[in-house]
Amino acid sequence: MDPAAMKMLAVGLAAGLGFLGPGLGIGIIGYSAMQALGRNPEARGTIMTNMILVTAFAEAIGIYALIVAIILAMVA
Amino acid sequence: MSQLGCSTRILVIAIIIVLILTLVSFITGAIGSKLVQIEALRSLSVSSPHVELPAEPVTKPLFSLGPLGEFYINNTYIASWLTIIVLVGFFYVATRKAKIIPGRLQSLAEGIVETLLNFVEDAAGKENGRRFFPIVATIFLFVIMNAYLALLPFFGPGIVRTEHEEVLASTSGVVASVKVEEGARVEEGEVIYILDTGEEVEAPINGAVEALLPVGASVTAGESVVTVKNQWPLFRSANTDLNMPLAFALMAVIFVEYWGMRALGTTRYLTTVFFNFASLFRSLGQLFRGKVRDAFGGLVTGIIEVFVGFLELLSHGVRIISFTFRLFGNMTAGEILLLVVVFLVPWIVAIPFYGLELLIGFVQALIFAGLTLVFAIIAVTPHGEEEHT
Repeated sequence: MDPAAMKMLAVGLAAGLGFLGPGLGIGIIGYSAMQALGRNPEARGTIMTNMILVTAFAEAIGIYALIVAIILAMVA
Repeated sequence: MSQLGCSTRILVIAIIIVLILTLVSFITGAIGSKLVQIEALRSLSVSSPHVELPAEPVTKPLFSLGPLGEFYINNTYIASWLTIIVLVGFFYVATRKAKIIPGRLQSLAEGIVETLLNFVEDAAGKENGRRFFPIVATIFLFVIMNAYLALLPFFGPGIVRTEHEEVLASTSGVVASVKVEEGARVEEGEVIYILDTGEEVEAPINGAVEALLPVGASVTAGESVVTVKNQWPLFRSANTDLNMPLAFALMAVIFVEYWGMRALGTTRYLTTVFFNFASLFRSLGQLFRGKVRDAFGGLVTGIIEVFVGFLELLSHGVRIISFTFRLFGNMTAGEILLLVVVFLVPWIVAIPFYGLELLIGFVQALIFAGLTLVFAIIAVTPHGEEEHT
């Protein structure tokens, strides 16, 4: 397999597989936030703040995968 | 229909005009021109996006910093100075003749500051809030202004600096083969022509190739055979340079540690957060004093606490990397997204992506400032020590 094709494959796999985890993670966070909000609508401020906070962590992992893919595509 | 402010007919006409403009913009882009195949409609099309991750220099190297390399002014550096001028200028003009009953500009500035202060104080309490406020608010305002100013038309490929380099032939000859196409990008040192004397003509800089000679053209020594043209933007969002998010992250982490040490005392902060040997030493002391049964449970807990302390130290270090790459990755991905989308579907259909970029800029600024705040609050609250009986 020639190197150019291997590189394209690597970029696609790195980006695609790397986004699976954070996507699922953010979905789970949203699910639990909705459940908590349903049980206790008064605590809306706390729940939403913490949801955004944890979503930021999960999103960062996706960004790491994107960085790897960009470096593979542009620099390597 | 009275809430609309115009009659139904005008609304329908406006929607039809917007739809026609959208269709026009779709057709003249890269996707549309492949579908419709009319060459005359390429007026709105943008050149193929070329993305470079490191920031491009605007000036020649100014002075050398020894082993750190050379210092030159980058386009992201100029953009960050522009952000500083905009922010400082806005707040200076808004509060120049401050009145008790504020005018519009002053009340805008007051609203911004008060919203940020409420955000910080709601999370941290009154006294800590005032202490954390300058750093958290500066991070938020600087990051969001960097991100929003980058959406203005003169940023990015709006104003470009061009670098022409003419390649002169060193000997005479006839062009035997041409290795690249007209307009293709070449790297520095890549071979462009091979002359019949066997000599190769290389590209001196990275860039796009122009004015290629065809096969069989004769060249004389000292004549220009090809031009390599490199274009890069004059302004570029400061958040897309890796150094700027790194600077923010270092500042945030150093200040969090500083506040923790100020609030709890340096030795107490270090020994309860990172180096939790207290519990281990206590149970070792119990062991040597003969209370073996209590000591075993305490030993296990002590070793676990030491381990947790080292993990905490590691996680504080990883925060720097995580802060940097979160901001850098989001902003660079957004810039690449805008470049590619404007290439594919220019003008109106690219507007939702600008909206996405607005949202992402705001969210990333909020997350950076908010995470700094949260880590600071965690750092200044004393860890509850468990009482062993």
